[in-house]
Amino acid sequence: MMTEQQTPQQRKDEEQRLQEVIAQRTQRSAGLWRRETAVALIPLVLVIGYAIIYPFEAVYTTLREIPGIGDFFPTPGSAVIIIVFTMMAIGLNVVVGYAGLLDLGYVAFYAAGAYMAGWLASQHFEQVTFHFWSPGINPELPGIHINLWIVLLLAGIFTAVVGIVIGLPTLRLRGDYLAIVTLGFGEIVPQFVRNGDNFKGFDLTSGSFGITPIDPPGFGDGLGDGSGGLLPVNFQRSFDAEQLYYWAALGLLLFTVFCCWRLRDSRLGRAWIAIREDETAAAAMGIPLMRTKTWSYAIGAFFGGIAGAYYASFKSGAFPSDFYFNISIFLLCMVILGGMGSIWGVIIAGTILGWLNIEGLGVIGNYLNDWFFEPVTGSRIEVPKYQFGIYGIIIVTMMLFRPTGLIPERRRKLEMEEGVHDEPAMGERAVNR
Amino acid sequence: MSTPETSTAVPVAAGDGDGAGGPILKVEGIHTYYGAIHAIKGVTLEVRKGEIVTLIGANGAGKSTTLRSINGLNRPREGRITFQGEDITNRPAHEVVAMGISQSPEGRRLFPRMSVLENLEMGAFQRTDRQNFGEDLDRVYDLFPRLAERKTQKAGTLSGGEQQMVAIGRALMARPKLLMLDEPSMGLAPIFVEKIFEIIVEINSQGTPILLVEQNALMALDVAKRGYVMETGQIAITDDADRLSENEQVKKAYLGIA
Repeated sequence: MMTEQQTPQQRKDEEQRLQEVIAQRTQRSAGLWRRETAVALIPLVLVIGYAIIYPFEAVYTTLREIPGIGDFFPTPGSAVIIIVFTMMAIGLNVVVGYAGLLDLGYVAFYAAGAYMAGWLASQHFEQVTFHFWSPGINPELPGIHINLWIVLLLAGIFTAVVGIVIGLPTLRLRGDYLAIVTLGFGEIVPQFVRNGDNFKGFDLTSGSFGITPIDPPGFGDGLGDGSGGLLPVNFQRSFDAEQLYYWAALGLLLFTVFCCWRLRDSRLGRAWIAIREDETAAAAMGIPLMRTKTWSYAIGAFFGGIAGAYYASFKSGAFPSDFYFNISIFLLCMVILGGMGSIWGVIIAGTILGWLNIEGLGVIGNYLNDWFFEPVTGSRIEVPKYQFGIYGIIIVTMMLFRPTGLIPERRRKLEMEEGVHDEPAMGERAVNR
Repeated sequence: MSTPETSTAVPVAAGDGDGAGGPILKVEGIHTYYGAIHAIKGVTLEVRKGEIVTLIGANGAGKSTTLRSINGLNRPREGRITFQGEDITNRPAHEVVAMGISQSPEGRRLFPRMSVLENLEMGAFQRTDRQNFGEDLDRVYDLFPRLAERKTQKAGTLSGGEQQMVAIGRALMARPKLLMLDEPSMGLAPIFVEKIFEIIVEINSQGTPILLVEQNALMALDVAKRGYVMETGQIAITDDADRLSENEQVKKAYLGIA
């Protein structure tokens, strides 16, 4: 209240000083930004380079033999699964992180993609024999056999359509209600495929047996031979099948990351963020709510579908028992742990949680048993059995100590930093002026 | 069907002349509900070209709901809303904004984690003419020089008055043919209230008709040409603004003058 007593001259001086401070600050942050991008590129290049050379036998076997920490490096086969789940988490991040729509049924998209691969690249529809650029498979083999690269795209599109179909009735709901309905769809889809083996005699999904085997990826005889073996005819038949699967998965992940990164800064991305921040205000700005939200669902589903189809091909099967509710929650954990809306955060969290899920808990469990439980209690415990308890603890700990995630999104991070030292007193004075 | 409607000459209130023309917005007997709650009970009002019209009334009288009904955030169950002769009664909000009605909503509702500039950009979301964007931005910065200084600051960290500036600036970025302001003076220091009203007059003098919802009836009637007084979901009194401020009933209930 004392500041009200300023003379006009003092006010003017104050104003000038403020402007100088602002100008300085803008300059400084501009310079910082440039230096930061250059510095940020170095780890990025290192990480991608490391990820590319990782599956070479010489590399990962050496890493796995490092005493003490060697067990922490996954096999290339496990790494494929980690990458696929990370990709799904990035897709889910579009829905949850960008648009702020809590989706508890993302597993439905994984299922849709996996079954798309089952329908279009296996012997499931043995009534027909249709081959298109199939990866070195006997052309007499019944069923639809479309090259997996095309199937991935079709699976993405199909799943995006499923996303739109699910989204149209549900996205009118807000908050908790939306979460509950998506949870329902996440349950409906696996039940549907489990019971979809007899539509008046027509077998769509093979019921609880699932569809297996599913064709592996490959470039077919023509391209394979034409490139002198550089492009493998059929992944499964190569000596280095796991490595090929790994690199293809890594390529898909980078594609997903690139798309989601570009989307975030697009007009659509801005509309998502506006809806996340204040739905009513976004509507008042002329953002078409339904269309924008449905796009986030469709795009999130698109990547989930591609990942699902690729994963189905990798493990050569789509089974209804794979699509349980826990996966939706598991993917959501990756998004929350990484920082909602933050691509890098989700990649890191996806890698950590994916690894824990596949190998990590077993490895850590062994250490705990060797060093603690066996010597102290005389018996060993099976740590992976407690996986969801452990994820729960991770999430609760995160919410308590770092609620914005491992690597918070720029916007949220800025809010925290600027919110603290942006001289609220200045704002006060502005009101009094 | 709408031709006789639009060609009907609207009786212009006595004393009307300077710059005010035919109606740009007509609200005819709308009823809006929140679930079973009958919030708006047959409101009829109009805004003519070039004028400031104010809608005053107590808390809960239905002023904001009237605005929300006009721009499509709430859907009236009965009645008709026409904008420039076109029926917009059940249009979704984004279409109404695209047609040229933009509003600064109640409680400002900025995007708190976006910068001032990004908030202003959101205001122009419906616009397709990118080349005029800079021009409009300059216009907003001319009206509110403070915003130019603060363009990189997060909107959530601004003071109340500055936030109100962003909200009005954001609405202007849509190049509205009709600007609706919902309680622009709410929660502001008196000196800021005066400033905001000055700017409202300035925006209007540049040619934009304004529908102003206010609790600060004194200030609102001071700048407005005409006024509507709302009570429990209905229009209680309609008159020229200067006559309303003389009205005994209004004086007593809203101006605090016995």
